[in-house]
Amino acid sequence: MSIRTCALKSAAFKALKDAYDNREAAAAKWRAAGGKVLGELGCDVPDELVLAAGMMPVHIYADPARELTETNKYLEFAFEPVVRAQFEKLVDGTYANQIDYLAISNSTDVVIRIFLYLREIHRVEPDKAVPPVCFIDWLFTRHRLHQTRDEFVIELFKKQLEEWIGRPITDEQIRQAGAVCNENRQALRAMAELRHGAEVRINGSEALVIIGAGLFMDKAEHTALVKQVTEDAKSWPAIDAPRVFYTGANQEDTALYDKIEAAGLVVVGEDTDWGDRYYDRDYNPDYPVIRGIVDRYLLREYSAKKAVVADRVAALDRETAAAGAQGVIFYTNQYDEVATWDMPRQRKSLESRGLKHITFGQMLWPVNRNEGLDEKLAAFAEEMKGGAQ
Amino acid sequence: MADEKRPADSKSTVVKKLEATRTAGAYQKQWFFDMKAKVEKEGGDFAVLNADVPMEIFRAMDIPFVVNQWWAAICGAKRMTRKYFGLMQQNGYRADLNSYDAQALAESFDPDDKKIDENGNPMGPWGGLPKPTICITRLTGDVQNKIFSLLADNYGADLYTIENTVARTTPLNWYELAADRWEELYDKDRLDLAVEELKELIRWLEMKTGRMFDMNKLQHVMDLINQQEGYYKKIRDLIAECHPVPVTVVDTINAVMQAQWQRGTQWAVDHAKGLYEEIKALADKGEAAVPNEKLRMMWLGRGMWQDFAFYQRFEQKYGAVFMWSMYLAMGADAYIRNNVEPDPLRALAARFIGMEDFLHMPPWNSSWFIQQAKQNDIDGVVYMIPDNDIQAVEGSYFIKKVFEDAGIPLLAFHADPVNPKKWNAESMTSLVEDFIETRVIPAHDAKKGK
Repeated sequence: MSIRTCALKSAAFKALKDAYDNREAAAAKWRAAGGKVLGELGCDVPDELVLAAGMMPVHIYADPARELTETNKYLEFAFEPVVRAQFEKLVDGTYANQIDYLAISNSTDVVIRIFLYLREIHRVEPDKAVPPVCFIDWLFTRHRLHQTRDEFVIELFKKQLEEWIGRPITDEQIRQAGAVCNENRQALRAMAELRHGAEVRINGSEALVIIGAGLFMDKAEHTALVKQVTEDAKSWPAIDAPRVFYTGANQEDTALYDKIEAAGLVVVGEDTDWGDRYYDRDYNPDYPVIRGIVDRYLLREYSAKKAVVADRVAALDRETAAAGAQGVIFYTNQYDEVATWDMPRQRKSLESRGLKHITFGQMLWPVNRNEGLDEKLAAFAEEMKGGAQ
Repeated sequence: MADEKRPADSKSTVVKKLEATRTAGAYQKQWFFDMKAKVEKEGGDFAVLNADVPMEIFRAMDIPFVVNQWWAAICGAKRMTRKYFGLMQQNGYRADLNSYDAQALAESFDPDDKKIDENGNPMGPWGGLPKPTICITRLTGDVQNKIFSLLADNYGADLYTIENTVARTTPLNWYELAADRWEELYDKDRLDLAVEELKELIRWLEMKTGRMFDMNKLQHVMDLINQQEGYYKKIRDLIAECHPVPVTVVDTINAVMQAQWQRGTQWAVDHAKGLYEEIKALADKGEAAVPNEKLRMMWLGRGMWQDFAFYQRFEQKYGAVFMWSMYLAMGADAYIRNNVEPDPLRALAARFIGMEDFLHMPPWNSSWFIQQAKQNDIDGVVYMIPDNDIQAVEGSYFIKKVFEDAGIPLLAFHADPVNPKKWNAESMTSLVEDFIETRVIPAHDAKKGK
């Protein structure tokens, strides 16, 4: 089971898949019309401010087929493979032709270092075609001091955007952008009900396409398509398969979910930034605008990168319960291993709740480089179905 | 700590002759046993701190502590590494991840830690850590949250974390500003935040321990540290001027590093003073660490704890002496903060928020390394890049580039400073020998106009 025919028959899904498969198209069109495009690296660049600045936000993504000629020159191997591939496009001139600016958020160690390296490239090799870059130095410790600091940090980001666009960003523009983002998140949460509910109408691969398309297209247009596809999906056949929750490495394409679902499982939720976590928690329009942005990004569900183990154990328990998962797939790439520190206790907690689980560690990227993965997934599916113990 | 056996082909004349090196090790051990006995007898608070946590606060409050990375070195020296790898695996953790930082965590899984073996020897390193009640780390890497939260949980201790921010302003000559013009080193808001972090930490510690923080005591601690680090500056400058050098990194790393963990004490000042006087006396006598010194080598990266003798393998054959490591030079350039009195907390903040950046953030590390290479008349650089630790990556491309641009040969290689499984002494020795023969000697000869 990958993306099903019923989904491909939906015009809304097809439009979303088109945006998902042709990720540069919408941004190119936007730029051709005179608009500015801001690339986002890290999952905590606030779209609300980018939209308020009149820019189109797009996520930086990796190209699995590309040689890492430039990356091998600049980056150590301790950088995880997906980020290494993203970096290649940032320094080989690809993104210099596709985006006007780059914003990097302090979402994980590795992208902080990407910022430091890009900043240094700008300094020592100024002729290199690397987009102008700014850093959003979020702090994710949930204390008053850090909440206040984050307001300062977001003000700095706002000022940088204002400098780039050459005009001030008004509170009203931020509120309007916040409303656009909230409507998008609410539409995605309504879509997710068709994954989490008693009957599963949208499989994991289809969900990744629906969610991920929004990272590369106009947000209001995305919202309209998500609403339409949600209506369409209500009549798609229910999926009768063991329900699994996915936790671990971000999946920028559907290759892994295709394999999981081909094995006879269905992915009903995930805690990744290209999945359910993308639309968790709204911007609060009742707060002062900057505080509302901080509230949304600081207090949404814990990420694997920026939380202590106990919080991550509790988060996975909450998320698996909300998704009605019967099992969990842990999956981390080589060198993207922070989440592995959470897993022993997460597994213990899942076991105490009767959930089955399987762990794939030190995986190669892209997914198809891993020998034996299909067989292990098939065995896990059998176990989930009550076969092999 | 390090294996200090002198290799058969070493020509070093002062290895283990420095009284300061010997006394540092002895003092550390006695200090630990005294502290442990007191904590275990009185049942008071005891803290495990990550290396970048401002220990000065704890010193000023008389809260006993050990530094996680110092303890990791003790565990390594007591040959616990293999056992701890096994314990990590048994408990579901990857044994090869952040092994340097996770030694205390591994120990916390050890059921034998406080036991005595059949020969009457303690099974844990030095009889094991006292049970901590406080675990504190800075969030300078994603994994710190994880390791310290697990450590705290295993011991039933309280976890406290201190946030980290990224520099927007990066003056290249930080080493010239750090001592007297430290306000200019940082974005003002970063420094302001760090001071607030310290105030919150202090309040939390006061509530937790029932001890009052006294600013006058911190002032005293800061003064002692300036004195201690001032001696390191004198030592570094003295060694840089000497041709040949009177001591090598084998002499200085342990002497300095062990005393750094005691910074803020009178003992550490006296020790640093004694170290300086010893080295000065050797220099005054014209004594050479390596009598046939020809090539002055710089070591970049963490200390090669599992094979300290590695540094000496190139002395006899090539007259190549490893005379620079970050351990002494950081003391000389990164720690001193003068003008403390108006605001000791701000001076302390100006010390601790830069430590990671000076070492791991381009351009601060690369600009300092090249300045140090020039000051020390370096002929070649050997640079160990840790394989598995994103926190330790530091822009190796930019470091290599700055040396290449300056015409100083640099050999970069990948290794794990703790894991002996990943260290092959033979292949590393030939790699460095080849580097010396094909790059360092020709560059040296060219410099000397041969």
